[in-house]
Amino acid sequence: MKALLWRLASLAVTAGFVAIWQIVADFKLVSPVFLPGPDRAWAALVHGMVASNLATKLAGTIEHMLEGWLVASIAGVVLGALIGSSRFMRAYVGPTLEFLRPLPASAVIPLAIAIFGFSPAMALGVIAFGAIWPMLLSTVHGFAAVEPRLYEVARALHLSRWQVIAKIALPSALPDILAGLRLGLTVALILAVVCEMIAGLDGLGQWVLLAARYFRSPDLFAGVILLGALGFVGALALDIAERRLLVWRAPTNSP
Amino acid sequence: MNKGSCRAGEALIRFSKVDLSFSDRKILEAIDLEIMRGEIVCLVGPSGCGKTTALRIATGLLAPTGGGVAFDGAPILGPRRDVAIVFQDYGKALLPWRTAAGNVSLALEAVGTPRAERAARIDALLAKVGLPHHADKYPSQMSGGMQQRLQIARCLAQEPAALMMDEPFGALDAMTRQELQDEMLQIVRTTGATVLFVTHDLEEAIYVGDRVIGLLPHPGRIGIELKIDLPRPRDQIATREDPEFLRLRRELYEFIKSAER
Ligand SMILES: Nc1ncnc2c1ncn2[C@@H]1O[C@H](COP(=O)(O)OP(=O)(O)O)[C@@H](O)[C@H]1O
Ligand SMILES: [Mg+2]
Repeated sequence: MKALLWRLASLAVTAGFVAIWQIVADFKLVSPVFLPGPDRAWAALVHGMVASNLATKLAGTIEHMLEGWLVASIAGVVLGALIGSSRFMRAYVGPTLEFLRPLPASAVIPLAIAIFGFSPAMALGVIAFGAIWPMLLSTVHGFAAVEPRLYEVARALHLSRWQVIAKIALPSALPDILAGLRLGLTVALILAVVCEMIAGLDGLGQWVLLAARYFRSPDLFAGVILLGALGFVGALALDIAERRLLVWRAPTNSP
Repeated sequence: MNKGSCRAGEALIRFSKVDLSFSDRKILEAIDLEIMRGEIVCLVGPSGCGKTTALRIATGLLAPTGGGVAFDGAPILGPRRDVAIVFQDYGKALLPWRTAAGNVSLALEAVGTPRAERAARIDALLAKVGLPHHADKYPSQMSGGMQQRLQIARCLAQEPAALMMDEPFGALDAMTRQELQDEMLQIVRTTGATVLFVTHDLEEAIYVGDRVIGLLPHPGRIGIELKIDLPRPRDQIATREDPEFLRLRRELYEFIKSAER
């Protein structure tokens, strides 16, 4: 009931925002060259999907984002588990990570271009590099924060090393890992767009850049709307996955 | 149910001159203690005197710095499958992401019980500790008493020859504590398990124990040993009114008072 009210309220806010946008555009408070109304943006979106190659661009961005995110997730979780479950590794690898982590991913783009050229591989490298950090750091934290008592339970029961990882450490770190996956997805989307702009890869980044260059503001807004929707859907999907995987965290309290 | 050779009247667990220091601080000194098969030995003493440490050494979770502990004649080098540990902080010792059934299952998975056999075993174990209808609950949905029952069920899944319990009922309210004392005694009687029971509750020690060992602090050493000859099964009202119970209680209180000074 309460959740429903919240959802209605957030819908109302969105509707209000679109209405204000329409009013600002109709009264030409901002030049229509820069700001089309939602009506024109929507028309451009539909036209782009049906009559132009906007759908291909959308598919391109989804592909870049998901590929980079997947590589970063697998590498981040595996490395994070290795580092987080060993005090030795935390002490020796930690400082290196702290040096690399604040490097903005955009700073490695020139390096990636030098190595891979203007290619999808370059985008993959940059996106994976940028998106791995939230994954890696949250996984390290998750594995380092496993309740020590549970390791004693594992010793008392003679669990094998593999059983300890699969049955104790991984599920215990899962909430942290999921938080990292969510952050990583956002980073992957941002970097996918940046790479598409710089390297001219097929994707919404390129679409948006070209639209801006030729002052086709409705097209530009159509691309931006799609990017927003993409981020929203991604977060929603992870939300649903999280709620399923972490049922035990939300007790339906009955004693 | 007891594993190993079943020679009654013989020590199952034997502490020989056990010393333990953390860095330079002596925590336990020259502990000599024998626990017979099927016996329930309680360890009491002022807080910080080394009760938990002594129990951890007996479980093999902690190695002594001097002397040793033998189990069934063999030195203890690490935790044993046939020795179950009931931790005081049940909330931390259970897997919060597993249901009650899943938590018991962990002990069965550890010994490779085939999946098909697990469900029946789990049901029987949960019923034994009084949780027959809570198999699908998560620990966060259970009261403290239920969580501790669940931990005991997981321990029983190990089919232990010995139970090591560290203030298992210390965090529970008085009613629940008494219920669990009786249930524990009942379970121990049917399985014949040997028990080392740490508590700071002197009456609890006398109520459940065959013998009560009182530790003196700084460093922890044995200061008193009381044989409890109260009739079994014990009864929460009759036993606690027994003149012998009252006499033992007075003796133990006086010991603790002098130990704390
Ligand atoms: N890991 C440890 N490192 C250093 N000192 C410890 C450690 N564990 C316990 N101690 C000390 O050993 C003493 C005995 O602790 P403990 O066995 O927990 O006492 P009790 O269970 O009787 O209250 C305490 O003074 C405690 O501070
Ligand atoms: Mg203690």
